[in-house]
Amino acid sequence: MSAHGPIPILRVGSNLLTTIHIDLHDTVAEAFQQDVLLSIERTGATGLVIDITGLDEVDTYVARILADTGRMAKLMGAQTVVVGMRPEVAATLIRMGYLMEGVETALDVDEGLALLIDRQNKKRRGT
Amino acid sequence: MVEIVQSWELPIAREEDIVFVRRKARALAQERGFDAFATAALTTAASELARNVWVHGGGGKAIIEELTDGYRTGIRLTFADEGPGIADVDRVMQGGFSTARSLGLGVSGTRRLVEEFDLQTQPGKGTKVIICKWTRF
Amino acid sequence: MRRDPTPARSLRTRLSFDERELQSRRNFFGITDDDLARLARLEPFAHKHMDDVVEEFYALLLGHPETKRFFPDDATVRRVKRLQREYFVALFAGRCDLEYVENRLRVGAVHEQIGMAPRWYIGAYRKYLSQLIERMTGDLGHADATAAYESALKLVMFDMSLAIDAYIAANLETLGRHQAAIRELSTPVIKVQDRILLLPLIGAIDSQRAQQVMETVLLRVIEEKAKVMIIDIAGVPVVDTKVADHLMKTTAAMRLVGAQTILTGISAQVARTIIQLGVDISSMHTLARLQDGIELALSMLGLQILPAKEPNP
Repeated sequence: MSAHGPIPILRVGSNLLTTIHIDLHDTVAEAFQQDVLLSIERTGATGLVIDITGLDEVDTYVARILADTGRMAKLMGAQTVVVGMRPEVAATLIRMGYLMEGVETALDVDEGLALLIDRQNKKRRGT
Repeated sequence: MVEIVQSWELPIAREEDIVFVRRKARALAQERGFDAFATAALTTAASELARNVWVHGGGGKAIIEELTDGYRTGIRLTFADEGPGIADVDRVMQGGFSTARSLGLGVSGTRRLVEEFDLQTQPGKGTKVIICKWTRF
Repeated sequence: MRRDPTPARSLRTRLSFDERELQSRRNFFGITDDDLARLARLEPFAHKHMDDVVEEFYALLLGHPETKRFFPDDATVRRVKRLQREYFVALFAGRCDLEYVENRLRVGAVHEQIGMAPRWYIGAYRKYLSQLIERMTGDLGHADATAAYESALKLVMFDMSLAIDAYIAANLETLGRHQAAIRELSTPVIKVQDRILLLPLIGAIDSQRAQQVMETVLLRVIEEKAKVMIIDIAGVPVVDTKVADHLMKTTAAMRLVGAQTILTGISAQVARTIIQLGVDISSMHTLARLQDGIELALSMLGLQILPAKEPNP
């Protein structure tokens, strides 16, 4: 999958997987969101896993980008799951009072994909 | 009695500078034995406040100081700008100021990440935020 | 309990005691090169008196039950007497540099290690000084003795400041280790089943402990790849607004790393208190009994406990 920014986006079945391994600021964040949404548009993906295992810090700016990306993806019919949040990152966000509600989360990529596939199956079966 | 062991001054003139400030704070925290949770709290606070300087303050500077009371290490960060200042500090600190929502959430949140927090601001004269975090013993 | 002694050099660097600090402290204590030269000239005096000084020194320490216990056998006494002679002579070596400082810091660190509180060695330093003034007055003229005593007094006080600094630093490190151990003991996370963890919380939860709990459960959840954390609060005596807030924060943090939290051990009293206080914890899974919490956790993983099959006839 081609991306304009430095963050790669892979396709896993009907889902997308992206791993954020660098600082998200300004142009990088812009490009990231653009690439994600274009990928959803191109592939018709119904799920997006954002892997933030590589982030040793998430401030409210980055948290907002993740939440916004999730909301944008939802408008295009894709459910987003953020995975791999480090314990110290989770503790810091909660201490700040930033609960990141409205963003689904899972332990790691496996769990995130499993969650999306489970939802997609349920939807297909009409449950 | 608290002593300054070393200090650095970093400009905040472009968005990239936020990353430099954060990296310096992180490197210092890890060197001085802060654990992962304390380091994350400090660097996140640094990011938030540095970003405020850049976004709301029109640029400014960060002063990073390594402190000691003889036994523990403290890291004190000062963020100063000569921007418009904060008009309604109380509301901002409660995190509920709607037009400056991004500012409020960051500032009131960072207060909970550090042991010492001081905010000085005057409309039209700029803002100075000083935070400090100490190692546990 | 004996441990490996703290290397003096690393102690010096941990206390940030560098050349700048040395000069600053020497200035404050008034230790000049003249003082050191004067003491160096008295080296023969030191050798002449060192055995007697050390004997009297240990007569004091061994004569008091509180300090005698630090020297349980003859081998120990011989050893420390030898070290004490070296200490005494070093006062008259005419040096007050970083290496000298390291040796003095070691004294304080060792005292902390064996559990000898500062009051005892402050009392022992007093004995040193009394000995010095007596013997100097005896050997030198009045004027010379006064000057010599002044120089020695400065250095002995300097030594004491270092010993106390080292003692406090070592003490704080011991405290830190104890606190780390208490943190671990007070947050005993148990693996109930694959991917299900249980934390029985016992005792009061203040904000410091709440933070420790949050950090510990986050680390364990990720370590064990747990999907459900059961926190049992039957052992928490007071559950008020603050405690409820801590529990909700921990639950929110768990969610961010992909785990669900179940709160069990809600007693009738706690249920009443929470509602009467107007606290809203309805967003959390809460139950009265731990066993129900375990069943709920299993169902979250798509598992359930079934009665064993009848044995084949």
